[in-house]
Amino acid sequence: MHLRFSPAEEAFRAEARAWLEANMPRTPRPTELGARAAYDQAWQRRMYDSGWAGIAWPRAHGGRGATLMEQLVWCEEYARAGAPDISTLFVGLNHAGPTLVACGSEEQKAAHLPPILRGEVIWCQGFSEPNAGSDLASLQTRAAVEGDFLVVSGQKVWTSFAHVAQFQELLVRTDPEAPRHRGITWVICPMDAPGIEIRPITTLTGESDFCEVFYDHVKIPLRNVVGQLNDGWRVAMATLSFERGTAFLAEQVRLSRRVDELVALARATPGPGGRRRAIDDDEIARRLARARAEVDALRAMTYRSVSLAARMGVPGAEASMIRLFFSELVQRIDLLAMDVQGAPAVETPASRWTELYLAGLSQTIGGGTKDIQRNIIGERVLGLPR
Amino acid sequence: MDLTLGPEETAVRDAIRNVLAERLPLARVRALASAEPGIDEALWREAGGLGWFGLGLPEAAGGGGYGAAEEMLLFVELGRALTPGPWLGTVLAVHALAGMPALAPVLAGTLCVALIDDPADTLGDGARLTGVARGVADAGAAEGFLVVGAGAVRYLPAATHGLAVEGRPSLDPTRRLGDVRFAGIAAAPLAADAAALRALATLLAAAEAVGVAERTLEDSVEYAGVRQQFGRPIGSFQAVKHRCADMAVRAEVARSLTTFAAVALAEGEGAAPRHVAAAKVLATDAALANAADNVQNHGGMGFAWEADAHLYLKRAWLLEHALGTRAAHLDTLAAPWRRGE
Repeated sequence: MHLRFSPAEEAFRAEARAWLEANMPRTPRPTELGARAAYDQAWQRRMYDSGWAGIAWPRAHGGRGATLMEQLVWCEEYARAGAPDISTLFVGLNHAGPTLVACGSEEQKAAHLPPILRGEVIWCQGFSEPNAGSDLASLQTRAAVEGDFLVVSGQKVWTSFAHVAQFQELLVRTDPEAPRHRGITWVICPMDAPGIEIRPITTLTGESDFCEVFYDHVKIPLRNVVGQLNDGWRVAMATLSFERGTAFLAEQVRLSRRVDELVALARATPGPGGRRRAIDDDEIARRLARARAEVDALRAMTYRSVSLAARMGVPGAEASMIRLFFSELVQRIDLLAMDVQGAPAVETPASRWTELYLAGLSQTIGGGTKDIQRNIIGERVLGLPR
Repeated sequence: MDLTLGPEETAVRDAIRNVLAERLPLARVRALASAEPGIDEALWREAGGLGWFGLGLPEAAGGGGYGAAEEMLLFVELGRALTPGPWLGTVLAVHALAGMPALAPVLAGTLCVALIDDPADTLGDGARLTGVARGVADAGAAEGFLVVGAGAVRYLPAATHGLAVEGRPSLDPTRRLGDVRFAGIAAAPLAADAAALRALATLLAAAEAVGVAERTLEDSVEYAGVRQQFGRPIGSFQAVKHRCADMAVRAEVARSLTTFAAVALAEGEGAAPRHVAAAKVLATDAALANAADNVQNHGGMGFAWEADAHLYLKRAWLLEHALGTRAAHLDTLAAPWRRGE
């Protein structure tokens, strides 16, 4: 075991650090959604032009084809520089793109991968439905084959950025008679197709990035089906495992900085009862120290996970444990920030810390609730009976 | 960067695990607990012959030529097996006595050494040791004492004139404590670095806690898979399954951070002391919480003396009070922030 990176990896780190330093956007990310999307797209284009787009994508598909260790280094440097979250481009770059790489036809890859990498298109995800959340395989949005088309009717929900997206990775039920995992199809849905209606949902943070999407006899060409008809569950699962390998590398750096900032806040804020500074309160100091220890542990876990993946070739079962630990750690830190702030926590406009606390409540819901994560750990990691 | 076990590290780990499984099943641990001197002298000599005490010593000095990472693997296994005896003091004494004649019997496993951790120099920081060290683990069985003060490290044979030991049982039936009295004993400091030894000792205590956390997880998972109620294995119920999942996460957190800290220490990384302190906190968290959850998962049997679940919990509490409690380490981590660094 060793912690050192090779000379080649250190050279890569220096190159990444220098490029980020010179090229990172200096203006703050706008709040208005359209402007935010344009900002993300311009930044992605800049990375593309310098060969930094699609760091984990194969070279054959225009990516950088970086090794796992290089991906780790890039994620750390990206977060360390404070480079912006890819946000509106997340689904295209980290989900739909890798799915097409793994399961798409040559025609689909040629049509969609380059614009995703260049930041020219925004993708959204059409998985969850009002009655298919944790139990995703019970989805009911129906698609019938009519000639060369799928005709889709139904509803999706919790679709981030649907109102600015050009494409959607859409899961539909194409065979209602088949066992529920076998009658699902993964299809590329153009968001400008007639019959699609999008309604924004305001979340508890007050923002409206989420949408409901309604489909009324929407015609999608059959050539947009990725993989085979009725094989969509396998296609979707192929990507979910792709998502996990290095997903938390940047997060541990961001969380580490958040703890540093929280320490600074605790030194500048009165403690409980208005006496002394918050940092002089033993309970707050120890919770901060524990947060620091836990963020160090998150780094150690991600390093171990990447080491295992580098040795075995695939992400291991520990990824589900990292995910659960991360989501609850974020919430512990957010909660601590609420306590450190004192009364300003409840004033408006909400402080950045209060905004983080509210937004962080989704950490243990989105992409599989913490309860589902515990089932996965219990059954797939520990082998407990269903 | 690679934090997975390589072939040689795996071989070291497996060899230790196999010997302990064969020589020291829990029935043997219980038998040792009810007899004097409370340690397995034959196993001690065998471990010496196998080179366990000198794993981290250079080969030129008579050791195995490994480092803190392999020593960590040893202590995880010792924790898993609830091994009795002053392993920590003996391994540290090997480092402290390197190059001295007193090293040979310690390395060979014919002489075991208890650790007296005295970071505040309550026994004095001058030429003589005076006072009482309370609650020294395995003091009664030890044939030597390694006193690690704030800056100085001293070694005293148990037979030293003016040194008296009063042994007694502890909360953990498999470990005894003792009070060690020093009546103004002259003892010259060794060349060893107290801070480095204390960091290593803290790491190895954390590793032992990792072993407790992992072993209790495995026991719970096994029991939850076979124990039937309402016509189903209790592990199929989410209340039990989710508790086991939380145990798994804690064990993974503890194992990862302790491994990271061990490698950082072995490589002399500047932030290693911080990682060691953090590892001691989270590994002790994991050992205590997993051992308590393991009692719960075993239901009524978990509360019975004859079942093993309580032994792990009690060992975890001894580890909490070895080499700094969680609160003490958290205060150390927070100290620079409060001073204004």
